[in-house]
Amino acid sequence: MNTEHPLWQNLFRPRADRISEVTEMWMNTPLFEKIPRKECRELVKIMHPRHYSTNEKIFTSGEIGASVVLIRSGSVEIKANDKLLAELKAGDFFGEVALIMDEPRTADAIAIESSDIIFFLRSDLDEWVKRSPKSGAQFMLNIATVIAARLRHTNILLSLQNS
Amino acid sequence: MMQAIFNHPLGRTILIFSGIFLSILLLGVLLAPLLVPIILSFALYALLEPISEILERQGFTRNTASLSVLLILLTLAALLIYAILPQLSGQLTALQTQLPQVWQSITSMSDNFSQNLLESFKLHNANEGITQQIFAQANDWGKTALIQGSNLIISFSALVIIVPIFTFFLVRDYRSFRNYMLDKLPNSSFEMGWLIYHRVAHQLQEYIRGIMIQSGIICVITSFGFYLIGLDSPFLLGIIAGILNLIPYIGPLLAMILPVLLALGKVPIELWLIGAAIGVILIAQIIDNLIVIPSVIANSVNLHPLIVIVGIIVFGNLFGFIGMVIAIPMISTANIIYTGLYNGIKTRHEIQHRVMTTQQTENE
Repeated sequence: MNTEHPLWQNLFRPRADRISEVTEMWMNTPLFEKIPRKECRELVKIMHPRHYSTNEKIFTSGEIGASVVLIRSGSVEIKANDKLLAELKAGDFFGEVALIMDEPRTADAIAIESSDIIFFLRSDLDEWVKRSPKSGAQFMLNIATVIAARLRHTNILLSLQNS
Repeated sequence: MMQAIFNHPLGRTILIFSGIFLSILLLGVLLAPLLVPIILSFALYALLEPISEILERQGFTRNTASLSVLLILLTLAALLIYAILPQLSGQLTALQTQLPQVWQSITSMSDNFSQNLLESFKLHNANEGITQQIFAQANDWGKTALIQGSNLIISFSALVIIVPIFTFFLVRDYRSFRNYMLDKLPNSSFEMGWLIYHRVAHQLQEYIRGIMIQSGIICVITSFGFYLIGLDSPFLLGIIAGILNLIPYIGPLLAMILPVLLALGKVPIELWLIGAAIGVILIAQIIDNLIVIPSVIANSVNLHPLIVIVGIIVFGNLFGFIGMVIAIPMISTANIIYTGLYNGIKTRHEIQHRVMTTQQTENE
């Protein structure tokens, strides 16, 4: 029997090339600093890839967020009150606050070209933290560092604006 | 008209919720013959999934971990078939043969009581025979229930074979299948869908694990208690008490009936045994309410007691015993889905309204 035939393959198994590529992308972000590659790879397997067309909203300010988002390809605009806050490219991530707080999103994220997006859900993070508390603690520390860096950046911008 | 209803957050929520509800109902009707094995398999999946996860963390593949879980299940099933079931069947047969004696004892006790009552009040015995008729009817019902109980054990043996197979596939493929289905959601509802799913799954898993542990504890306490006070068929009665405990509020009351009847059937009648049988159930309930519920299933469902009781009656009327057991998780699931949908749709509606107002202001 030819087990290589698609009929005999696990239909739901994620393609290996995507997993390696996304793992590499996450490993290059500060969120996965000091996290073993093997664990990151296992997490990528349960992450959710989605495709967005040009000008399609990824999320809207006010909606409850449930995940951090990585851009696999394409680019995304982050806007608040129609003011452009950032333009993000492949390999960038955003929405990390939703991983620790059950609060509404504070900005809009819009795909400005055809984009492949990877969602890492808070519920998956919670399960992973329970399973691997050591790596989970490191990941939480990394999120705190990222959020602190963003806060510091915002403070500098505000003080520059005021002065 | 339809458009206006769909544009309103409440109308849209009710329409989507009704769609989900009707789909589940249709699925329930189609899968009616397999409902019991499916429910049992999901309950076992909720219990065994953590074991599979632990095995996977130790380096087992998903297939090997699922196979190991299946082996654990098969061992338990084999134990049930070869060790526990024949004993239970024996206890049930003993109970069946004992029943006429129990009814006879209760009938004579009742006759003595009514005779004393009539003599005390110097009344004519106009209702002579009614007590006998009532107890004859009750005797028939009791016998039928026990015969059905014996048939249940035969069906149970079939379940012991089907359920492990279903559970194995659930442990192995449920997550992949769930991801496949939820990834079909449109981009706009993707995060909301997952949020609702995880709230439902978390609550159901907590509830199922909690209530199974709770029933197990009640089963052990009551079996031990009935054995200590010298009641016949203590383990069968304990298992019945544990199963009936799956029905909140009403279950513990139902669990008292059979032990009390058996205690009443003792010749000569032993009043202390009746008190002791009630006492065992009450002690089990006290331990359950003071220790088990706060530590095992506290906050797993947050429903008003009145909704729980009405739900149990309605589901019991629709689906029998299994309906009474699934009433609470079903109402709780419906509550989370409705609330999650309504909050998500309302927020989106408010955002759209805000955007439109801003655009109108800018145009003006």
